[in-house]
Formats: sequence, structure tokens, C-alpha cells
Amino acid sequence: MTAALLALADSRLPAGGHAHSGGIEQAITTGVIGDPVSLAGFLRRRLTTAGAVAAGLAAAACRAVDVADPAAVRPADLLAALDAEADARTPSPAQRAASRQQGRGLVRVASRAWPDPAWASLPAQPHHPLALGVAAATAGLTPRDAAHAAAYLAVSGPATAAQRLLAMDPITVAAVTARLSPEIDRVADDAAAGDLPADTDPLLDLLAEVHAARNDRFFAS
Amino acid sequence: MPPDHNLDDYVDPYSPGHRHGGPLRVGLGGPVGSGKTALAAALCRTLGAEYDLAVVTNDIYTTEDADFLRRNAVLPDDRIEAVQTGCCPHTAIRDDITANLDAVELLESRHPGLELVFVESGGDNLTASFSYGLVDVQVFVIDVAGGDKVPRKGGPGVTASDLLVVNKTDLAPMVGADLGVMRRDSDAVRGDKPTLLISLREDPAATEVAEWVRQQVRARALQEA
Amino acid sequence: MRTLVEVVARCDARGRTVLPVVRASGQLAVRRTGSTTVHLVATAFGPLGGDDAEIRLVVEEGARLAVRSVAAAVVLPARGESPPSRQVVRAEVAGVLDLAPEPTVVTARADHRAEVRVQLAEAGELIVTEQVLLGRRGEDPGRWTGTTRVERSGRPLLHTTVGLGPGAPAWLPPVAPRAYVSTVCIGEPRPEVRTGVDAVRLPLPGGWVGTAWAGELHDAVAALASVTEDVELVEVAR
Repeated sequence: MTAALLALADSRLPAGGHAHSGGIEQAITTGVIGDPVSLAGFLRRRLTTAGAVAAGLAAAACRAVDVADPAAVRPADLLAALDAEADARTPSPAQRAASRQQGRGLVRVASRAWPDPAWASLPAQPHHPLALGVAAATAGLTPRDAAHAAAYLAVSGPATAAQRLLAMDPITVAAVTARLSPEIDRVADDAAAGDLPADTDPLLDLLAEVHAARNDRFFAS
Repeated sequence: MPPDHNLDDYVDPYSPGHRHGGPLRVGLGGPVGSGKTALAAALCRTLGAEYDLAVVTNDIYTTEDADFLRRNAVLPDDRIEAVQTGCCPHTAIRDDITANLDAVELLESRHPGLELVFVESGGDNLTASFSYGLVDVQVFVIDVAGGDKVPRKGGPGVTASDLLVVNKTDLAPMVGADLGVMRRDSDAVRGDKPTLLISLREDPAATEVAEWVRQQVRARALQEA
Repeated sequence: MRTLVEVVARCDARGRTVLPVVRASGQLAVRRTGSTTVHLVATAFGPLGGDDAEIRLVVEEGARLAVRSVAAAVVLPARGESPPSRQVVRAEVAGVLDLAPEPTVVTARADHRAEVRVQLAEAGELIVTEQVLLGRRGEDPGRWTGTTRVERSGRPLLHTTVGLGPGAPAWLPPVAPRAYVSTVCIGEPRPEVRTGVDAVRLPLPGGWVGTAWAGELHDAVAALASVTEDVELVEVAR
């Protein structure tokens, strides 16, 4: 099922990710990011906090769809509970909106790629990791795969946003993302295996809210 | 592939071309400064009384186009949606149309009787065209001041758009552009698809373009019926 | 060493708060210092690496409880390979809880894990403030990991884990503060977002959470105040 996982994590999947920088645009404006080294640091920061939470939620959502007895434990109830857990882990309204916007976009494309009754179990405008988990399940992937896609996307999209905003060498940026692979794998494996992570970075909250209040921005988040 | 395998299995039955109900979606594209926003404003003024309509703007940076439409009170605020394009306006209208679909759907849910939506692209180059997953028909706007060679150079906007608008004909004498050449070159690369040479300064109502839009609305209504 | 503190606040027939249970064992003592206030008092140095403390608070409907401490907690490493020290606050709140201990100072090589887990009843109100400083003056920072989970009627309102100090993945220069403060307030209309310099206040259902960070504790406290000055704090009469 590797090909389905590659399709799900492809940055060219038209799910709306290209308009989101995951805090990168504001980090550049405030001077936190300016070169490949500071970009790598920021991406790792993002991976181990928001990325870990997304990976855990994606794995849990994938599991929720594949319950043994859907009559006894309704996937819709499990997904609604996960959506509330995602909200509790995302107190920033700007980050919530960005996540739900991308969740809606992913549902649009993935539900046509992999039609399945499971899509009806998702709340309207779900958090992105929940949509990713359900997409993984409907594509025949595992919770661990879902976690890997979520952790990877937490890094890959923002990395290319930095590339566009700073006109950075795309090969340098690709190398940064590639070299984060072992840490992406570790974050995903841990998140898929354990309790739902709740790691947060108040810096990302602050950047997201300052960014959302601007009207001179290229990116939606 | 097993012999009984049907290629249709690879294709989902949904097709944007057979979308039922909902407004006619008209893409307005073209290079920076050619007059897309001015044309959108003109069409809103001319057609606003006839149709339940709304606009989506794709600015490269800021919400300037949306603000222009608001400032000029062409449409009420709740009929204008601006989307961010992540430094990539052509991606937002062609390769990943998610944000634009969200904006159109938001406008549809806000105005259930919506008949017409203009989706205005950010100023981009001659290769930027709309996905037919996003719009039903598209208008490409170039201007005389860009040089009379533009139609000959072609590009998907010029050759494949459903309507080519050559704006600012009033400037032709000043920039030494030959309107006859532009007309002839356009017709040569566009086959039987229409081209309109207009001047928004001389005709702020964009009369001919508005009439073309009316035809498209009628054609879609016939198709639906 | 294991430490256990238990306090129960109850509303008596005349509508006044009484504290039928106020007890502690291990490294903390607990003193009644007002009709609705208790103070935690450290009876030993520490906490030390490997120490484990649990503070159980129950605030019944109609009751009010304020929990304070008399001095900063200075977390020290154990000799040799120091295991983490832990402190968990578990609170069930149907009345009003105000939890604001003095700062936690995490010295070099120490690794402290703090958890605050609150279950609110529908009418429960809450204000929790945490203040953390990594390292004493002139000393290397220690490691602090703080988890906050607040539920109301079983539904999670907030669940975050913040990791600070060397080795914490999201503690990276140029944003690697030595001082961190946060306040969670539930029990008032949801206010708008407010941002400041290294400080942000975010709305929660029926309340807000504010966080701020700086090089010095007093600067972090001032930064947090800059984004919370326009909101009313849940108050418990002292």
C-alpha cells in the first residue's frame, strides 16, 4: 500500500496545503527564520509539537474507522471525541481555522479518490489530521501510515513555503526536509504507538495569531 | 490488468462539467494591469441588477482587489471573498483549487439563490489559466499597452480561453499598437472562439462582455433544463 | 519520596465554605491561612530528582478554595544520574478553584514534570497560574515539562504539554526562554485573542489561556499581564 501513502503525502495533492505556511510566513517576518539553519530549527520545533499532535490524531482517526464492531462503538462518536481532543490541543483560533480548512480540502479530494461510507462519520470541516486518518483508512493504509503522512506534512508544506517566501535554493530546502526524515519517522512511530500527544509550542500560537491579524500576507496561515 | 477490468473503475463518476444547480462560475484571468479588477467591477455594476451575483478575488499579496470592489461599493461586503494564494496565484486557480472552491461554496451557502460568480485571478503571466474544476467558462484579459504581439505569442490564456478581451483600445494610437493586427492574430490562434476589443474608459459598462456573460448564463440554463 | 496533599472545600448549610479535609504527608505540609485559603509549605529541600508529589483538590458546588505556597519550589537533581521529579495536581471543581503557587525554579541537571488535571462540573470555575524559571541566577537551566488538561463535564477544553530547557525539542534559540508563565481561566465569557511581545492570550470555551515567556521571570509576568489586563480574573475571597 506504499503507493497510496505516497499519494496522500504528495505536496501536489490538491487539498489546499499550498496556501498554508504553518507559521513560516510570520516567523520570517519576525526574523525567527532567515536561512537554512534557522529553517531547519523551526521545522524541527514544529515537527515535535504540532507535528506530533497531528500524527497522534491521524493514527487515532484511522483506528476509529476500523473498529471491530461499528454497531457497539460508532466511528462517528470516536471521531467527534477526537475532534474535541484536537480543539483542546489547538487553543489558537487561527491554527484551528487553518486545520479545519485543510481538513475540508482533504475530504474533498480524498473522498473522491477513495469513496467509502466512512467519510460520513467525519464531522463537517474536520481537523486536518482526522481527515488524514480517515483517508488513510479508506485507502487501505494503517494508523502508523496515517501518522507518518501527518508528521511528514507538518514539515514538507511549511518548508516549501519558506522556499517561496525567501527565494531559498529549492535543493537546499529539499535536503533539509530529507535530512529530517529520521526524526519524522520517530515522531510518527511514537505518536502512533502511545497516548495522544499534546505537545505545544506557544511560539507557534503567537505567530499564528499575529499572522491572522495581518492583511498583507501571501499565505492563509 | 484482468480482461474484465473496466477503465471506468479508475474514474470517479463526478464531473465538474455536469455539476447540477449552483451559479455559473466565470473565471477572469490575465496579466497584471490589464484591467481584470476594473472589468469585474464593470460587470458587477452592469449585471448586478439582473443576477444574484458574487466575486472571489485571488490577490497575490494583500486584499487589494477585494478592497477595490468594496470601496467602489460595486457589491456588498458579504458578496466578495478574498483568498490567499501562497505566493502562487496560478496554483490557486489551476493546480490546487481548494481555497477557491471553499470561497465559492461559502458564497453559495450565504446566498442560496446565487446565479453568477466571478472568480478573478491574481495578475499572473500568459500561461495562467483556470481549471475547469473551478470555473465553467473563462475570460482572459490582455491590454493594448502590453504590445500588439501578445495575441501572436499565444499561451493557454490567449488561445484556450472562452472569451479573449483586449482592453484599453483607446491607448492604441499612443502606444503604437495595431488593433487590426491584434484582431487578426487572435482570430488565427483562437479558431472560432470570440475575441472582444474594448475600452473600459470609453464604455465603463463593458456592454459587449456583459452580453457575452448573459449568453453563457442562458446557455447553462438550457443545459440544466 | 512520595508526597500526598488532600484538600476538600465544601459549602455548608449557611452557604459558607468549610474545609473538612486538609491533610498532607511527605515533603509538603498544608496550612489553613484563611476561611477559603490554604498554603502549601515545603518541609524539606526539593523536590529532588525521583520525588513524586500528588495534590488532590476537591471543590464542591458552592464552595471556594484558594491554594498558595509560601515560597518558590527549588527543584534539585539527585546525585549521579538524576531521574525526573513529578508533581501532579488533580482537581475536581464544581465550585471555584484558584491555584497560584509561587514559582518553580528548576536548577541545572534537574528534570521536573508538572501536571495539572482539572475536571470541571458545568458550573465550576477555575484560575490556575504557573510560573517557571529555569536555573538559579548564573546557573545553567534545568528541564521542565508541564502538562495541563482541563475538562468540563467530560469534554476537553484544553490539553497542552510545554517542554522547556536543554533537550526539549521546541526549546531552540532564538526562542529558548528561561522564564515561562501561564494562566488558565474558566468561568467568564470567552474574550477575544490578544497578542503582545512574547505573550499571547487565546480564547477557550467559557474562558481563556494566556502564556508568556522571557529571559527573566518578572519580565514574563509583566508580558502575561500585558495581554490579560483587560479581562476579569476569577476571584476567591482570601
